[in-house]
Amino acid sequence: MASVVAPVAAPPAVELHLRSDLFISDLRTRKKASVLEEVAGALAAANVARTPEAILDALRRREALGSTGLGKGIAVPHARSTMVSERALLVARSTKGIEFDAVDGQPVHLCFLIVAPPLERDPIYLKLVAEIVRATRLARTRQKLIDAPNFAAVRAILVEAARD
Amino acid sequence: MTDLLNALVELQDIDVLLREVKDPEIASQEERMGFSLEHVENLEKARRKVAAQIDEKLLQTYERMSRRFARVVVPVEGIVCAGCRMSLPTASARRHSSAIVGIENCENCGRILYRR
Repeated sequence: MASVVAPVAAPPAVELHLRSDLFISDLRTRKKASVLEEVAGALAAANVARTPEAILDALRRREALGSTGLGKGIAVPHARSTMVSERALLVARSTKGIEFDAVDGQPVHLCFLIVAPPLERDPIYLKLVAEIVRATRLARTRQKLIDAPNFAAVRAILVEAARD
Repeated sequence: MTDLLNALVELQDIDVLLREVKDPEIASQEERMGFSLEHVENLEKARRKVAAQIDEKLLQTYERMSRRFARVVVPVEGIVCAGCRMSLPTASARRHSSAIVGIENCENCGRILYRR
Protein backbone atom coordinates (compact mmCIF):
# COMPACT_ATOMS: atom_id res chain seq x y z
CA MET A 1 0.00 0.00 0.00
CA ALA A 2 1.39 3.36 -0.97
CA SER A 3 2.11 5.61 1.97
CA VAL A 4 0.64 9.09 1.98
CA VAL A 5 3.24 11.77 2.55
CA ALA A 6 1.95 15.09 3.83
CA PRO A 7 3.20 18.04 1.78
CA VAL A 8 5.95 19.99 3.52
CA ALA A 9 4.98 23.61 4.05
CA ALA A 10 7.42 26.14 2.63
CA PRO A 11 9.33 27.98 5.36
CA PRO A 12 8.15 31.52 6.04
CA ALA A 13 10.02 34.17 4.05
CA VAL A 14 11.00 35.71 7.39
CA GLU A 15 12.97 32.59 8.31
CA LEU A 16 14.96 32.73 5.08
CA HIS A 17 15.87 36.40 5.52
CA LEU A 18 16.84 36.75 9.20
CA ARG A 19 20.58 37.36 9.55
CA SER A 20 22.64 37.97 12.66
CA ASP A 21 24.65 40.70 10.89
CA LEU A 22 21.37 42.52 10.22
CA PHE A 23 20.29 42.69 13.86
CA ILE A 24 20.67 45.80 16.01
CA SER A 25 19.87 44.92 19.61
CA ASP A 26 19.46 48.52 20.78
CA LEU A 27 19.55 51.45 18.39
CA ARG A 28 21.83 54.35 19.34
CA THR A 29 19.52 57.01 17.92
CA ARG A 30 15.92 57.95 18.78
CA LYS A 31 14.67 60.28 16.02
CA LYS A 32 13.18 58.86 12.85
CA ALA A 33 15.66 60.61 10.52
CA SER A 34 18.72 59.46 12.44
CA VAL A 35 17.35 55.93 12.90
CA LEU A 36 16.91 55.63 9.12
CA GLU A 37 20.55 56.76 8.75
CA GLU A 38 21.67 54.20 11.33
CA VAL A 39 19.88 51.29 9.67
CA ALA A 40 20.94 52.37 6.17
CA GLY A 41 24.54 52.40 7.42
CA ALA A 42 24.12 48.86 8.76
CA LEU A 43 22.78 47.66 5.38
CA ALA A 44 25.72 49.22 3.55
CA ALA A 45 28.17 47.70 6.06
CA ALA A 46 26.64 44.29 5.30
CA ASN A 47 27.05 44.97 1.54
CA VAL A 48 23.29 44.89 0.96
CA ALA A 49 23.34 48.46 -0.32
CA ARG A 50 26.06 50.06 -2.39
CA THR A 51 26.16 53.13 -0.13
CA PRO A 52 24.11 54.26 2.91
CA GLU A 53 22.92 57.31 0.94
CA ALA A 54 21.48 55.17 -1.84
CA ILE A 55 19.16 53.26 0.47
CA LEU A 56 18.49 56.29 2.66
CA ASP A 57 17.01 58.21 -0.28
CA ALA A 58 14.67 55.32 -1.07
CA LEU A 59 13.56 55.03 2.58
CA ARG A 60 12.95 58.78 2.91
CA ARG A 61 10.87 58.78 -0.26
CA ARG A 62 8.74 55.92 1.06
CA GLU A 63 8.23 57.71 4.39
CA ALA A 64 7.20 60.87 2.50
CA LEU A 65 4.25 58.91 1.09
CA GLY A 66 3.05 58.06 4.58
CA SER A 67 4.72 56.85 7.76
CA THR A 68 5.52 53.15 8.02
CA GLY A 69 5.09 53.43 11.79
CA LEU A 70 2.11 51.09 12.12
CA GLY A 71 1.38 51.78 15.78
CA LYS A 72 1.69 49.59 18.89
CA GLY A 73 5.45 50.17 18.91
CA ILE A 74 6.09 48.70 15.45
CA ALA A 75 7.59 50.26 12.31
CA VAL A 76 8.15 48.44 9.02
CA PRO A 77 10.03 50.79 6.70
CA HIS A 78 10.34 49.14 3.30
CA ALA A 79 11.62 50.23 -0.09
CA ARG A 80 13.02 48.90 -3.34
CA SER A 81 16.12 50.50 -4.76
CA THR A 82 18.39 49.97 -7.75
CA MET A 83 21.35 50.27 -5.40
CA VAL A 84 20.26 47.27 -3.30
CA SER A 85 21.96 44.05 -4.32
CA GLU A 86 19.68 41.54 -2.59
CA ARG A 87 16.44 41.30 -0.65
CA ALA A 88 17.12 41.81 3.05
CA LEU A 89 15.42 42.15 6.41
CA LEU A 90 17.04 44.12 9.22
CA VAL A 91 15.64 43.85 12.74
CA ALA A 92 16.36 46.72 15.14
CA ARG A 93 15.14 47.30 18.69
CA SER A 94 15.03 50.46 20.74
CA THR A 95 14.77 50.28 24.52
CA LYS A 96 13.98 53.98 24.87
CA GLY A 97 11.69 54.12 21.86
CA ILE A 98 11.93 55.99 18.55
CA GLU A 99 9.91 59.06 17.63
CA PHE A 100 8.78 57.60 14.33
CA ASP A 101 5.66 59.60 13.52
CA ALA A 102 3.65 56.40 13.98
CA VAL A 103 -0.10 56.37 13.32
CA ASP A 104 -0.89 56.18 17.06
CA GLY A 105 1.79 58.72 18.01
CA GLN A 106 3.47 56.16 20.28
CA PRO A 107 7.23 55.51 20.28
CA VAL A 108 8.52 52.60 18.21
CA HIS A 109 10.42 49.82 19.98
CA LEU A 110 10.66 47.31 17.14
CA CYS A 111 11.77 48.32 13.67
CA PHE A 112 11.78 45.86 10.77
CA LEU A 113 13.48 47.27 7.70
CA ILE A 114 12.86 45.46 4.43
CA VAL A 115 14.69 46.33 1.21
CA ALA A 116 14.91 44.72 -2.21
CA PRO A 117 16.20 45.44 -5.69
CA PRO A 118 13.49 46.51 -8.17
CA LEU A 119 13.21 43.21 -10.02
CA GLU A 120 10.41 42.84 -12.56
CA ARG A 121 8.92 39.90 -10.67
CA ASP A 122 9.49 39.62 -6.94
CA PRO A 123 6.47 38.20 -5.10
CA ILE A 124 8.58 37.64 -1.98
CA TYR A 125 9.17 41.33 -1.18
CA LEU A 126 5.60 42.19 -0.16
CA LYS A 127 5.10 38.69 1.25
CA LEU A 128 7.97 39.42 3.64
CA VAL A 129 6.40 42.74 4.67
CA ALA A 130 3.04 41.00 5.21
CA GLU A 131 4.62 38.20 7.28
CA ILE A 132 6.30 40.72 9.58
CA VAL A 133 3.07 42.67 10.04
CA ARG A 134 1.16 39.46 10.79
CA ALA A 135 3.85 37.99 13.06
CA THR A 136 3.89 41.08 15.30
CA ARG A 137 0.12 41.56 15.65
CA LEU A 138 -0.06 40.07 19.14
CA ALA A 139 1.05 42.11 22.16
CA ARG A 140 2.66 39.08 23.77
CA THR A 141 4.83 38.42 20.69
CA ARG A 142 5.95 42.05 20.60
CA GLN A 143 6.87 41.91 24.30
CA LYS A 144 8.80 38.66 23.80
CA LEU A 145 10.75 40.27 20.96
CA ILE A 146 11.60 43.27 23.13
CA ASP A 147 12.69 41.04 26.04
CA ALA A 148 14.63 38.49 23.95
CA PRO A 149 18.26 38.31 25.13
CA ASN A 150 19.89 37.89 21.73
CA PHE A 151 19.46 37.42 17.98
CA ALA A 152 18.90 33.65 18.26
CA ALA A 153 15.95 34.23 20.58
CA VAL A 154 14.51 37.00 18.38
CA ARG A 155 14.82 34.69 15.38
CA ALA A 156 13.05 31.81 17.13
CA ILE A 157 10.17 34.06 18.26
CA LEU A 158 9.68 35.62 14.82
CA VAL A 159 9.82 32.31 12.97
CA GLU A 160 7.30 30.73 15.33
CA ALA A 161 4.97 33.73 15.03
CA ALA A 162 5.30 33.73 11.22
CA ARG A 163 4.33 30.04 11.09
CA ASP A 164 1.15 30.59 13.15
CA MET B 1 29.28 56.75 -10.26
CA THR B 2 28.74 60.03 -12.07
CA ASP B 3 26.14 62.58 -10.91
CA LEU B 4 24.18 61.86 -14.08
CA LEU B 5 24.08 58.15 -13.41
CA ASN B 6 23.10 58.82 -9.78
CA ALA B 7 20.22 60.99 -11.00
CA LEU B 8 19.06 58.24 -13.38
CA VAL B 9 19.16 55.68 -10.57
CA GLU B 10 17.14 58.02 -8.35
CA LEU B 11 14.62 58.59 -11.15
CA GLN B 12 14.24 54.85 -11.66
CA ASP B 13 13.73 54.26 -7.91
CA ILE B 14 11.03 56.94 -7.84
CA ASP B 15 9.35 55.34 -10.87
CA VAL B 16 9.42 51.91 -9.20
CA LEU B 17 7.66 53.38 -6.15
CA LEU B 18 5.17 55.33 -8.30
CA ARG B 19 4.27 52.16 -10.19
CA GLU B 20 3.66 50.36 -6.89
CA VAL B 21 1.51 53.17 -5.52
CA LYS B 22 -0.54 53.31 -8.72
CA ASP B 23 -0.92 49.53 -8.99
CA PRO B 24 -4.37 48.86 -7.46
CA GLU B 25 -3.40 45.39 -6.25
CA ILE B 26 -0.16 46.47 -4.53
CA ALA B 27 -1.69 49.67 -3.14
CA SER B 28 -4.60 47.74 -1.68
CA GLN B 29 -2.25 45.14 -0.18
CA GLU B 30 -0.19 47.91 1.47
CA GLU B 31 -3.31 49.61 2.82
CA ARG B 32 -4.68 46.35 4.20
CA MET B 33 -1.44 45.95 6.13
CA GLY B 34 -1.95 49.41 7.62
CA PHE B 35 0.43 51.48 5.49
CA SER B 36 -0.58 54.89 4.27
CA LEU B 37 0.13 55.94 0.68
CA GLU B 38 -1.65 59.26 0.78
CA HIS B 39 1.04 61.74 -0.25
CA VAL B 40 1.70 60.69 -3.84
CA GLU B 41 2.17 64.36 -4.70
CA ASN B 42 5.44 64.34 -2.69
CA LEU B 43 6.73 61.59 -4.92
CA GLU B 44 5.67 63.32 -8.12
CA LYS B 45 7.35 66.53 -6.94
CA ALA B 46 10.57 64.61 -6.21
CA ARG B 47 10.41 63.07 -9.69
CA ARG B 48 10.14 66.46 -11.39
CA LYS B 49 13.12 67.72 -9.37
CA VAL B 50 15.32 64.75 -10.28
CA ALA B 51 14.22 64.73 -13.94
CA ALA B 52 15.27 68.41 -14.20
CA GLN B 53 18.87 67.38 -13.40
CA ILE B 54 19.08 65.02 -16.39
CA ASP B 55 20.12 65.97 -19.91
CA GLU B 56 16.95 66.29 -22.00
CA LYS B 57 18.03 63.82 -24.68
CA LEU B 58 19.06 61.24 -22.11
CA LEU B 59 15.79 61.74 -20.24
CA GLN B 60 13.82 61.12 -23.43
CA THR B 61 15.82 57.94 -24.01
CA TYR B 62 15.14 56.83 -20.43
CA GLU B 63 11.39 57.57 -20.77
CA ARG B 64 11.20 55.68 -24.07
CA MET B 65 13.07 52.68 -22.68
CA SER B 66 11.03 52.65 -19.47
CA ARG B 67 7.93 51.93 -21.56
CA ARG B 68 9.68 48.77 -22.73
CA PHE B 69 11.60 47.69 -19.63
CA ALA B 70 10.64 47.75 -15.94
CA ARG B 71 14.30 48.51 -15.19
CA VAL B 72 16.23 50.76 -17.53
CA VAL B 73 19.29 51.24 -15.30
CA VAL B 74 20.80 47.87 -14.40
CA PRO B 75 24.03 46.62 -12.84
CA VAL B 76 26.76 44.75 -14.64
CA GLU B 77 27.11 41.35 -12.99
CA GLY B 78 30.57 40.06 -13.77
CA ILE B 79 30.61 40.67 -17.53
CA VAL B 80 26.88 40.30 -18.02
CA CYS B 81 24.13 42.92 -18.39
CA ALA B 82 21.66 42.19 -15.53
CA GLY B 83 18.80 43.26 -17.80
CA CYS B 84 19.19 40.93 -20.80
CA ARG B 85 21.88 38.56 -19.43
CA MET B 86 24.10 39.04 -22.50
CA SER B 87 27.88 39.25 -22.18
CA LEU B 88 29.32 42.72 -22.54
CA PRO B 89 32.31 43.64 -24.66
CA THR B 90 35.69 44.29 -23.11
CA ALA B 91 36.62 47.64 -21.52
CA SER B 92 38.32 48.90 -24.69
CA ALA B 93 35.35 48.02 -26.87
CA ARG B 94 32.82 49.72 -24.60
CA ARG B 95 34.61 53.07 -24.51
CA HIS B 96 32.31 54.57 -27.12
CA SER B 97 29.12 52.66 -26.30
CA SER B 98 27.21 55.85 -25.49
CA ALA B 99 27.24 59.31 -26.99
CA ILE B 100 26.96 60.78 -23.47
CA VAL B 101 30.05 60.93 -21.29
CA GLY B 102 29.79 58.69 -18.21
CA ILE B 103 26.88 56.67 -19.58
CA GLU B 104 27.38 53.13 -20.81
CA ASN B 105 24.68 51.20 -22.65
CA CYS B 106 24.29 47.49 -23.20
CA GLU B 107 24.94 46.88 -26.87
CA ASN B 108 22.31 44.14 -26.96
CA CYS B 109 19.28 45.64 -25.17
CA GLY B 110 20.33 49.29 -24.84
CA ARG B 111 19.77 49.46 -21.08
CA ILE B 112 21.92 51.90 -19.11
CA LEU B 113 24.60 50.09 -17.15
CA TYR B 114 26.32 50.76 -13.86
CA ARG B 115 29.19 48.89 -12.32
CA ARG B 116 29.04 47.91 -8.64
